[in-house]
Amino acid sequence: MKYTITIESENAPGTLYRIAGTMLRKKINIEELHVKEVDSKRHLSRFTITIFLEPDLMAKLIKQIERIIEVVHAEYRAVDK
Amino acid sequence: MEKISGSQALMKSLVREGVDTIFGYPGGAIMPIYDALYDYKDRIRHILVRHEQGAAHAAEGYSRLRGKPGVAMATSGPGATNLVTGIADAMCDSIPIVCITGQVPMAALGTDAFQEAPIIGIVTPITKWCFQVTKAEEIPEAIAKAFHIASTGRPGPVLVDITKNAQIELFDFDPSAKYTFPTRKSDIEPDFTEQLKEAVELLNNAKQPYMLIGHGISISKAEKELKEFIEKSGIPVASTLLGLSSLSTDHPLYMGMLGMHGNYSTNKLTNQADVVLAVGMRFDDRVTGKVSGYLPNAKVIHVDIDRAELDKVIEATIPIHADAKRFLTAITPLMKRRDHSAWIKQFKALDAEEKKEVGDAELYPKEGEITMAETIRILSEKTKGGAVIVADVGQHQMVAARYYQFRNPDSYITSGGLGTMGFALPAAMGAKVGDPSREVIAIIGDGSFQMTLQELGTIRQEKLAVKIIILNNRHLGMVRQWQELFFEERYSFVHMDNPDFNKITDGYHIPNELVEKREDLAAALDRLLAAKGSYLLDVRVEKEENVFPMIPSGANIDDIRIK
Repeated sequence: MKYTITIESENAPGTLYRIAGTMLRKKINIEELHVKEVDSKRHLSRFTITIFLEPDLMAKLIKQIERIIEVVHAEYRAVDK
Repeated sequence: MEKISGSQALMKSLVREGVDTIFGYPGGAIMPIYDALYDYKDRIRHILVRHEQGAAHAAEGYSRLRGKPGVAMATSGPGATNLVTGIADAMCDSIPIVCITGQVPMAALGTDAFQEAPIIGIVTPITKWCFQVTKAEEIPEAIAKAFHIASTGRPGPVLVDITKNAQIELFDFDPSAKYTFPTRKSDIEPDFTEQLKEAVELLNNAKQPYMLIGHGISISKAEKELKEFIEKSGIPVASTLLGLSSLSTDHPLYMGMLGMHGNYSTNKLTNQADVVLAVGMRFDDRVTGKVSGYLPNAKVIHVDIDRAELDKVIEATIPIHADAKRFLTAITPLMKRRDHSAWIKQFKALDAEEKKEVGDAELYPKEGEITMAETIRILSEKTKGGAVIVADVGQHQMVAARYYQFRNPDSYITSGGLGTMGFALPAAMGAKVGDPSREVIAIIGDGSFQMTLQELGTIRQEKLAVKIIILNNRHLGMVRQWQELFFEERYSFVHMDNPDFNKITDGYHIPNELVEKREDLAAALDRLLAAKGSYLLDVRVEKEENVFPMIPSGANIDDIRIK
C-alpha cells in the first residue's frame, strides 16, 4: 500500500536522519521526500514522505516516528491509486 | 553575569542536576572538562573506570539503585565508541543515563581529525535523544534538557557531545536561568476513565485473570500499589525478567517468572487466562514465544507509559497509555474482592511438577559437581533474600533469576533486552556506589567475566565492597545448551580454556577463593558475605548443566519443555 506521511518537527540538524533511521530499522524505502520550514517563528519544518508499507504496520511506524524528540506530530494517509 | 568557560558551565550544570558521581575516562578531546572537574573534586566523585563500556554499565547500575540518571563521561573517538554497547543496553532496558563525550574542535569536525568519530551519527538510533554542542553558551540548556529527557516518560539514555572549542570558550553564564521543557505531545497521557471502566468490568468478571508485570513497576515505584491491587482483586501475578523483585517472591499471589527460562506454570498457563492485565511490560519475544500462538483467546489490557509499545506486538483489547503507578492507584478502589484459589491451584500443581523434574535435583544435589542452582539457593538463604543480585548474561543469569528469593524491590539488576555479556561487574560497581547501604552481589559466568574483568581495578582503587561470584563451567553455557538441544551436539566454539581467575584477582589485591567441592561452598559464601570489602569466589560448577524449563525459540509458549 502506498502512503504519504506528514511530519511536523523542529527545524534542527539530524531530524531527517532520525526519521530515515526509524524507517531503515524496518527496511522501508523512501519513494519521495520533501522538507520545508513552515513556521519560522517556532522553527518548525514539515516533512512529506511517500513510502510503500503493509497497512497493519503503518500506525506502528507513526508511533515510532512520534517517539523522536524533535518530532511534534506525525500522520499518514493512503495515496489514491 | 560572570564569564566562565563551557567546561565550568558544565560542572555548574551537573551540580544543579544533583550529580554526585561520574563514571569516566579522560582523553585528549575532553581535557578542558577534566581540568574543570579538578576543582569539583569535593562535590563530584569521579570514578576512573578501566574501559568506557564499564562507565556506561556502571552508570546504569548506579541509576537502578539511586533512582536518578547515572553519568558516564568519555573522550572523543574510541572513548565515545566504547560507550556504545552500554548506551544500547540502557535503551533496551529503559535506564536513564546521561553520557557526555568530548569531541574534536568544531573547525575540525568532518575532517577525519585525530580521535574523531561521528558519535551523534552512531548513537542516534540507540539513544532517546542526543545533541552536539558546538558553542559554550549551549551547554546549560543542553544539560538540563538531557537530564529531563533521560528521566521523564519512558526513561532512556541521552548523549551530549561537546566540541573542544565549546569546552574552552568563555561566555556570560546566568546562574539563575531556569529551563523548562513542555511535555511532548506523545508523552501526554490521555484521560483513561472510559478504558478503566471497561478494564474493571473485564477483570471483575474474569474466570481466570492473570497479571503480567514488567520493569515499569519498579521504574514508576509502584510496588506498594501493585501489592494493594492484587491483594484486593486476588489476581495471580507473573513477572518478566526485569520485573523481578517488584513483588516479594513469597507473596501468595506471586506465581513466578515468565519467559524462555521462566517457570513452567507461569508460561504453561498463560494461554489459559481469559483476561490478561499487562502492566509496564512490552511482550518481548522471550516472553511471548511464537506471537501467533500467544494469548489466542484472552482479552488483553495493556498498560504502558510508552504509547509506541501499545499494539506493537500484541493487539490489546484495551490499550491504556499511562504510568503504572497512576493506573494502579486508579483501578484498585474499583476492584471487587475475589478469590481465585481454584485458578491458583493450577499453578501450584505445575509448580510441583517443575520441582520434581528440575528443582529438587539441581537445588539439592547429593553428588557430582556443584550446581549453579544450589549456589544461588544457599546464597539466597544466607542473605535472607535481601541482597541486590547483579547478574550477567547466560545460564547463570537465568538460574539467579529463578532461584534467588527476592524480598525487597530493586534487587535484581541484569541486562535483559540487549543481553550484554560483560554487564554485571561494572553494573554491580555502579550499583554499590548508587546505594552503599545494600549488599551488592555480582553473579557472573566465566565467559561474561572475561569481557569486562578489568573493572576489578576500579573496584580495588575505589574500595567498593562489591561481592563477586563466578559460576564457572568452563563453557559458554547457554550457547552450549542450544547446541546440545537444537544443533545435534555440534559444540562449535563454546569451550573455554580459562585463566586462573584467583591469580588474576590476586593481582588486583582483592581477596578471593576457589570453590571446587560441595562441602566447601557454604563456608566460602559465609566468608564472602562477611568480608568488609570486595571478595571474589570462583565456583567451579557442573560443566554441562542445562537450564530448564525452556520455551524453544520460535515455539508456542504452551510447548515449554520441562526437560
